[in-house]
Amino acid sequence: MCGASAVLTEPVQLLTYECDALPHLRESPAIVVLPASAAQVQAVVRLCARDGVPFVARGHGTGLSGGALPVPGGVVISLARLNRVLDIDIPNRLVTVEPGVTNLEITRQVAPFGYYYAPDPSSQQVCSIGGNVAENSGGAHCLKYGFTVHHVVEVEAVLPDGSLTRIGSRLADEPGPDVLGLLVGSEGTLAVVTKVVVRILRRPETVQTLLAAYDTISAAGTAVSEIIAAGIIPAAVEMMDALAIKAAEAAVHPNFPPSDTILIVELDGPATEVRELFAMVEAICRRTGATTVEVAADEAHRLRIWKGRKAAFAAMGRVSPNYYVQDGVVPRTKLPEVLGRIRALSERSGLGIGNVFHAGDGNLHPLICYDESVPGQAELAEQVAGEILTYCVEAGGSITGEHGVGADKKDYMPRMFSEHDLDAFQQVRDALDPQRLCNPGKVLPTPRLCGEVPGPYREHPVERAGLAERF
Amino acid sequence: MAVVPQGRSGTPGEAIDGLTPRLVAEPASGDACAAVLAAAAANSLSTVVRGGGTKSGWGRPIDAVDLVVSTRSLADLLVHRDGDLTVTVGAGVPLARLNTRLSARGQWLPVDSAFAGATIGGVLATNDSGPLRHRFGTPRDLLIGITLALTDGRVIKAGGTVVKNVAGYDLGKLVTGSYGALAAIVDATFKLLPLPHASATLRAVYADPEPLAADAAAIAGGQLEPLAFDVRAGDTPEGPRWTLLARFASSPAAVASQIEAARALVHGETTALREGLETRAWSEQTGLVWEGDGAVVRCSWLPARLGEVLAMVRAMRADCGVTFTGRAGTGSGLLRLTGPDAAVGAAVVRARHDASPVGHVVLLRGSRELRSQVDVWGTAPSAPAAALKRALDPTGILNAGRGPL
Repeated sequence: MCGASAVLTEPVQLLTYECDALPHLRESPAIVVLPASAAQVQAVVRLCARDGVPFVARGHGTGLSGGALPVPGGVVISLARLNRVLDIDIPNRLVTVEPGVTNLEITRQVAPFGYYYAPDPSSQQVCSIGGNVAENSGGAHCLKYGFTVHHVVEVEAVLPDGSLTRIGSRLADEPGPDVLGLLVGSEGTLAVVTKVVVRILRRPETVQTLLAAYDTISAAGTAVSEIIAAGIIPAAVEMMDALAIKAAEAAVHPNFPPSDTILIVELDGPATEVRELFAMVEAICRRTGATTVEVAADEAHRLRIWKGRKAAFAAMGRVSPNYYVQDGVVPRTKLPEVLGRIRALSERSGLGIGNVFHAGDGNLHPLICYDESVPGQAELAEQVAGEILTYCVEAGGSITGEHGVGADKKDYMPRMFSEHDLDAFQQVRDALDPQRLCNPGKVLPTPRLCGEVPGPYREHPVERAGLAERF
Repeated sequence: MAVVPQGRSGTPGEAIDGLTPRLVAEPASGDACAAVLAAAAANSLSTVVRGGGTKSGWGRPIDAVDLVVSTRSLADLLVHRDGDLTVTVGAGVPLARLNTRLSARGQWLPVDSAFAGATIGGVLATNDSGPLRHRFGTPRDLLIGITLALTDGRVIKAGGTVVKNVAGYDLGKLVTGSYGALAAIVDATFKLLPLPHASATLRAVYADPEPLAADAAAIAGGQLEPLAFDVRAGDTPEGPRWTLLARFASSPAAVASQIEAARALVHGETTALREGLETRAWSEQTGLVWEGDGAVVRCSWLPARLGEVLAMVRAMRADCGVTFTGRAGTGSGLLRLTGPDAAVGAAVVRARHDASPVGHVVLLRGSRELRSQVDVWGTAPSAPAAALKRALDPTGILNAGRGPL
């Protein structure tokens, strides 16, 4: 139904599809199909529904939680060939694309008109918009602009029974419950998206960025609290600790001042507003004890600051043979407390832990350093990573802020949700997928796989090729 | 009376669509609420969840209500984490009361309902919103966590108390706009915003709609960032007037410069409104269509079609009295139509024609007769929405068939 060249069954061909950007979880699918139209996707899902075969939709494989991990004996539906931009409607600020279009391609298409697509996950050069919908992707600027769910207005999707349907609407206030809001972020477990309508935004008139260096992480934390208390919502607020700064310096030489903590604050909006509020932010940084405040003088300077920040993940490879990327969230005011616990954990375990995080929304990305050639260290790193999630949950936070639960963290779900909560999630899932064929084994814990522990970070091929960096 | 825990007889003040419920329960906790729903399901009681009762006449006309579950006693919870810019609040807390509390700490939940008594639960269930949605979206965009009581007697949570979180299904969004047809909302957690430092509104008044639509497009296509961006059509002693309102809220200098920049773009007769005058203008704008008699119809359009929508509004004036307020940036508006039911009903049907510039035409307020003659929602639930309804309310006790689910 999709043509012979769109069906892969040779083991060597299937290899590429065994995992996403979480390479320690691998499964071999029975077959990979590469449909080129929504009708072909529908035909494949219908067949799966008829014969009871599990299927997993896959975008460009950049997910960090194993959300696109194949099911043994199942079908992988790659949406890479559904990669057309279907409509650009500037007057109504809407763009319609197929799911295989990359996140950045949308901005590329509308940039000449002075517009952009706001969610900016760090993999935006290569990640697909269909994957963004599945994961409700965020990025560095979601403090002010929100996540994918705030920018998608309508999708066309194939439901697990094989029906093709529109969910959401280009027009506001569609009557009825917000099924689109449920679908976005459901990690590919409720439907296969075949078309996405997103809202684009007018480029802000001005962007201004500063970098402030601090002797202690708590002083930087105070600065963030004071900025927020002053009624300012920055476009981005990022923090890096000493180990992350050292790694970034070694990798891309951003000339960060040597310090314990670096705070990056970016404001955007109308020029007068940014000018006025930026002066307040600068004053707050100085008042809270910043040893250096560096204001980006031009776009090149701004990009250099961001390069240092964005390189921090990959740069850990310069200071440690292996490392593990964690993704957890704490209420912003609990950041100092949780970072203190992580520091103590690092000392206790003997493993270095670098911290790079979205300080504005409390989204932590601890980078746990270890050496897999030392017996037991990989296992220790896994335990440490799990322990950090416990700290996040105990502080009233979440086990994932943007990477998703996927296959990786489903066994941590009971730490956040009660048995009743998880049952309700399953009930909702069964309502749309009664045969349990649509990306099974993800999001919700399955007793069968209990005890499986999330694994370490390994460089993804797209990162190795220099195509993407991580936050 | 013992059919539901703590059930008592209903009173006329608790009527739903003019019908006094046989029973009323006022559970004071999530568990108590779930127990009431479980009893209602076991006894197949037609059940309506009621907050402030400000929209209890909306929806398809109904024949009977067995049980009203009032959220009045779910009104004590209010946990404001001001440092984190979040709040957890009981479903029965009125939105206005919440915002009074938050403002003491310089924060707000930027949702503006037209109804003074609207509760948090009701605002979510109806996805109520006002002019502030231009910047902040509708309640679903600010919701980060929810507690629900289900008809099987369980209390469940989804989301959490942090602003960034992708663990589990977002059931909070699912119940937004469900009109109480899936579950009862027990409490909700929102992200908050700091109150703006300064605010001012530019009002531009036009004798004709065409230049207004052109000016609205010019503002929308530029780099001004209004907090609210509204349009209005109504009668004045001098005849029909068309009004554009753009509110700017930011630092004082930024507000002043944006007001001037907006003034340079528009061609109507302009006034800059500040402080008391500004507050009054927006409360008038929000309440306008709800005051006085008449049916109220909601409709939506693609923002670039504003000119056609205003032309439609002008044409409607041939058959009924028309007052119109809308969100110029998001393409959402309300029409108050006065006149005989037949004329109003015909106007609704015409607005649903394929050639009409508006869609999602919903008759929100109307007499029982009008709501019997005209399909209130104009649409049937989608297949996934219907499947979710069957899963979460298998006995079909919730919402008494008022719709949309």
